Amino acid sequence: MPYRWVDHTAELELHIEAASPTLVLQEGLSALAELYDGATGEPETHELALEARDLPALLAEWLEELVFLAETRGFVADQAGIVLCNTSVRATVRGKRGEPRPLVKAVTYHGLMFDRLDGGWQARVVLDV
Amino acid sequence: MFEPRAIDETLWEIPADARADMRVPARVFADSELIDAIRGDSSLEQLQNVATLPGIVDAAYAMPDIHQGYGFPVGGLAATELPDGVVSPGGVGYDINCGVRLLAAPLSFDELGTRKEALVHEISRAVPAGAGKDSRHSRRGAELDRVLTDGSRAVGGDDDVERTESNGCLPGADPAAVSERAKERGSGQLGTMGSGNHFVEVQRVEHVFDEVAAGAYGLREDQVTILVHSGSRGLGHQVCTDYVRRMDAVLGRYGIELPDRQLSCAPASSPEGESYLAAMAAAGNFAWANRQEIANHVRAAIGRVLGRKAADATRQVYDVAHNVAKRERHRGRDVLVHRKGATRAFPAGSGDIPSDFRAAGQPVFIPGSMGTSSFVLAGEPGSMERSFGTTCHGAGRKLSRTAARRQIQGADLRRQLEEAGITVRSPSNKGLAEEAPFAYKDVERVVEVVERAGLARRVARLRPIGVVKG
Repeated sequence: MPYRWVDHTAELELHIEAASPTLVLQEGLSALAELYDGATGEPETHELALEARDLPALLAEWLEELVFLAETRGFVADQAGIVLCNTSVRATVRGKRGEPRPLVKAVTYHGLMFDRLDGGWQARVVLDV
Repeated sequence: MFEPRAIDETLWEIPADARADMRVPARVFADSELIDAIRGDSSLEQLQNVATLPGIVDAAYAMPDIHQGYGFPVGGLAATELPDGVVSPGGVGYDINCGVRLLAAPLSFDELGTRKEALVHEISRAVPAGAGKDSRHSRRGAELDRVLTDGSRAVGGDDDVERTESNGCLPGADPAAVSERAKERGSGQLGTMGSGNHFVEVQRVEHVFDEVAAGAYGLREDQVTILVHSGSRGLGHQVCTDYVRRMDAVLGRYGIELPDRQLSCAPASSPEGESYLAAMAAAGNFAWANRQEIANHVRAAIGRVLGRKAADATRQVYDVAHNVAKRERHRGRDVLVHRKGATRAFPAGSGDIPSDFRAAGQPVFIPGSMGTSSFVLAGEPGSMERSFGTTCHGAGRKLSRTAARRQIQGADLRRQLEEAGITVRSPSNKGLAEEAPFAYKDVERVVEVVERAGLARRVARLRPIGVVKG
């Protein structure tokens, strides 16, 4: 499975493996959509432009943005067109509004990892819940 | 991994020379059974990471409810020497000033009688629950800034404010240090519970251990109490997010190397440190106002079910923070005490607690879990001698949420709790299963350890009779 949840005593730990860094971000979006149990309301589109000091921090920013949209607008993204350039990303995210399952407080930097490994890309991030 | 060695029957230590980057030892208050359980996750490694923080004094401590967290373990404590020791936003956590407030209703369990179900239901209607659930009244601009500056007093009366740690207001709060994004997240959330392990619980005082202290706190056997557990909601989460990122970017400037980016920090006297402390104080004040507003909602619910007189006579026992950093003076030093899932527990005689409690010591509330007891403790002198005036904050998780869900269905747990006489209101069966009582350590053992360690003593045990979950 490209993403999987790993047991953590108190929080949620997400591991991602993908063929490219762009796909890692796509998988992160899919993992959050699963947590939020989807949404069935009006379709919406949001344009995002993010940058960070390095790839792991960019992954954290990407997920934080999706958490922010879920918490403040009830928007659950289910797909995205992503253009990644070094450590910045521009994306068009599409999804629906609803009442996403309230769970994620924040995206932590604990054990944060996003790196090339064994011919692919791997990432690890812990979500505060 | 270096094995902790017993210092005495309630204290274990990993010495500072266990790792080259540790500046001080890592110490855990626990008995032999709890320390075995603690070895089962990465919490001891996380505590050793805390021991690397620049400016940390004495030791990195953990309470018996310690479990794996992010950066700091939950149940962790670190004091850094001021002015130049570091402040670490991750050492406070995302839910800044998460804490608990206890209200005492003017009636006994028998007097509540058949109205219990209605009371729990009415509280569930009165207190919005869920991560993004909005309050009925959005606060923005100057109105929100007043909450960030004034804390409890912005929405509460004198009696409640006086019976709140730090009078419900951390000094030095600066709304300008809080990002617009944080304010947007918090604007509609005042008076809301949140999700995860947050709750409002209706209880009965099952047993009093210390009649004198219980009398000072206004508690007696069989009395009905209401325990509120919540924090600073999205506003606090965003403040921590903003400053972890900001401090991560300046570690090199201050020559700080860390084993975990979540511990990102800066000298408390630096521009980044001062700005974080001003924002943290504002978020802490939001949390106190949030629990105050929840208490207002609870009193309104009591009024609708039990009458206006009962609502007016429902007193606040006290309110304590368990995720915060505070400037305090200990053993002749000015220090910044980071409590991450740990509670201030000042003893009798402290000038920092209400005069009514000065002979008994500061009240501390230790929630167990749904279905198990919670405890009222009183701070003891040992806390000042051994743990920077600190004790535990709860039972501490021992099972992940996934593991809890694997063991029980939410609907089954709901039925079991109802059969045990606990009325349950929760919007999510999944969320309910994740908070199953067996996912937590034995709270009785945890409080026995802090009592034997001399950090706090038992005053009363509270048994749940109704729970409203976020």
